[in-house]
Amino acid sequence: MAPPRPPDRFPAGPRYRSYLLFGMGSALMLPLGFELLCALWALASGDAAWREFQAGLRHPLRIAGHAVAGVWLTWVALRFFRLFPKTQPFRLGPFRRPPDWLLVGGLYGVFAAASLALGLWLAGRIGGLG
Amino acid sequence: MRGLLLRLEPLIWGLFGGGMFVGALLLPAWCLVAGVLLPLGLLPAAEFPILWEHLYYQLSQPLGRAVAWSAVALPLWAGAHQARHLVTDFGGLRWDGLVGGLCYAAAALGSLLAAFAVLAL
Repeated sequence: MAPPRPPDRFPAGPRYRSYLLFGMGSALMLPLGFELLCALWALASGDAAWREFQAGLRHPLRIAGHAVAGVWLTWVALRFFRLFPKTQPFRLGPFRRPPDWLLVGGLYGVFAAASLALGLWLAGRIGGLG
Repeated sequence: MRGLLLRLEPLIWGLFGGGMFVGALLLPAWCLVAGVLLPLGLLPAAEFPILWEHLYYQLSQPLGRAVAWSAVALPLWAGAHQARHLVTDFGGLRWDGLVGGLCYAAAALGSLLAAFAVLAL
């Protein structure tokens, strides 16, 4: 059996660009997950470790990296939620699936609310989980 | 290794799907607020450094621990799965077992360390 081959015009063809940008943006979750792990570890280690972790966030390269990652992941998130209805069955038990615009609009709303809540919480403006 | 990954595929897909959802919801705000706006002082009247007591108190509650673990561990699995498939897209299946094994081992190790961290809160 012949080994699998990439399709014609991969990866430069226009139809593959958004697919690859989505894949690369999603792969950013791996290093960012480890950054969150470092944040959590610093938080568990006490005030001094937490301040040291945050001092690292002031480095210009990290700020630039976070800016790029933030914009890229926002696009990834919006595309992920826009594609979500296509992954769902047409019937959910006895019920028909809600229309796509309702699912996508709801997910966009949840995304906006979660981003706002997390931003306000990190900025110390709202309490939270306790 | 590929045989093991195939057997674990349903579990990996569950973690990947959950990770995409959690990561898509939380990581853009983390990057833009904690990574850009707060260090640059662009949020008026916001504290930076973020007060340790503010986060510690809330994340050390039972619900806070669960949210903190999910926010750290699940995106690791989403990123690991996407990284594995990017390598497959460009390099074929030749290294899939090794790359997949390394990616998921990193995610599993990170998940374990996150569990230790939330228990230490």
